[in-house]
Amino acid sequence: MLLFRGEEHVDRWCVQWKQPRGALLMIDQAWRLAQVWYGKKMEADWRRATLEETEGLLEGLGLTGPFWSLRP
Amino acid sequence: MDFDTLLRLHLYRDFVETGRPPSTERLARALQTPLAEVRAGMERLAAGKAIVLQPESRELMMATPLCALPTPYLVRVGSQSYFGACVWDGLGIMAMLRRDATLETSCPCCGEALAIEAVAGRLTSAPGIIHFGVPARRWWENIVFS
Repeated sequence: MLLFRGEEHVDRWCVQWKQPRGALLMIDQAWRLAQVWYGKKMEADWRRATLEETEGLLEGLGLTGPFWSLRP
Repeated sequence: MDFDTLLRLHLYRDFVETGRPPSTERLARALQTPLAEVRAGMERLAAGKAIVLQPESRELMMATPLCALPTPYLVRVGSQSYFGACVWDGLGIMAMLRRDATLETSCPCCGEALAIEAVAGRLTSAPGIIHFGVPARRWWENIVFS
């Protein structure tokens, strides 16, 4: 999960390093994801989210489709 | 509170306070617990994907989102700094600590410096775009690569 200056830099990097182009995420989306995912990690009642909870979190941020699917 | 929760909380608090990953021995001393019990607790936390251990030494590699090893994602919080394994974990450190912070990195393509800043829980500077190379269902197949 790498931060690039822009989409054209992602494309150039994928070609240069022969890496498949994955999914792009706006930083605001990633910030909201990070807040929910890690916000309680230092609290006693933290627990790892269930598959269904994680799916709900991703869907709530508009992250849908095969790339974001958690099921094989 | 069960031992694994106590261990997790102490491990994270120590890491955040010192900016360095606590060794298993240090945790055992602080918790006044036999080393073998702490090692077993670390393995259980790793099995539950709360932390990641180094493959041979079984010392801490990641107390996600904190990374025990240097990476290109440096988070500055006050006078302390931390590494995240990726940009998402860098943002995760900022979110977890809930303090004003800056994430410093550079574009992997061209090397231009990039910084994301959070003040009072909001991003005030957020240049760029994030590329996820590994589909979500495969993140934990190799979390170091992901």
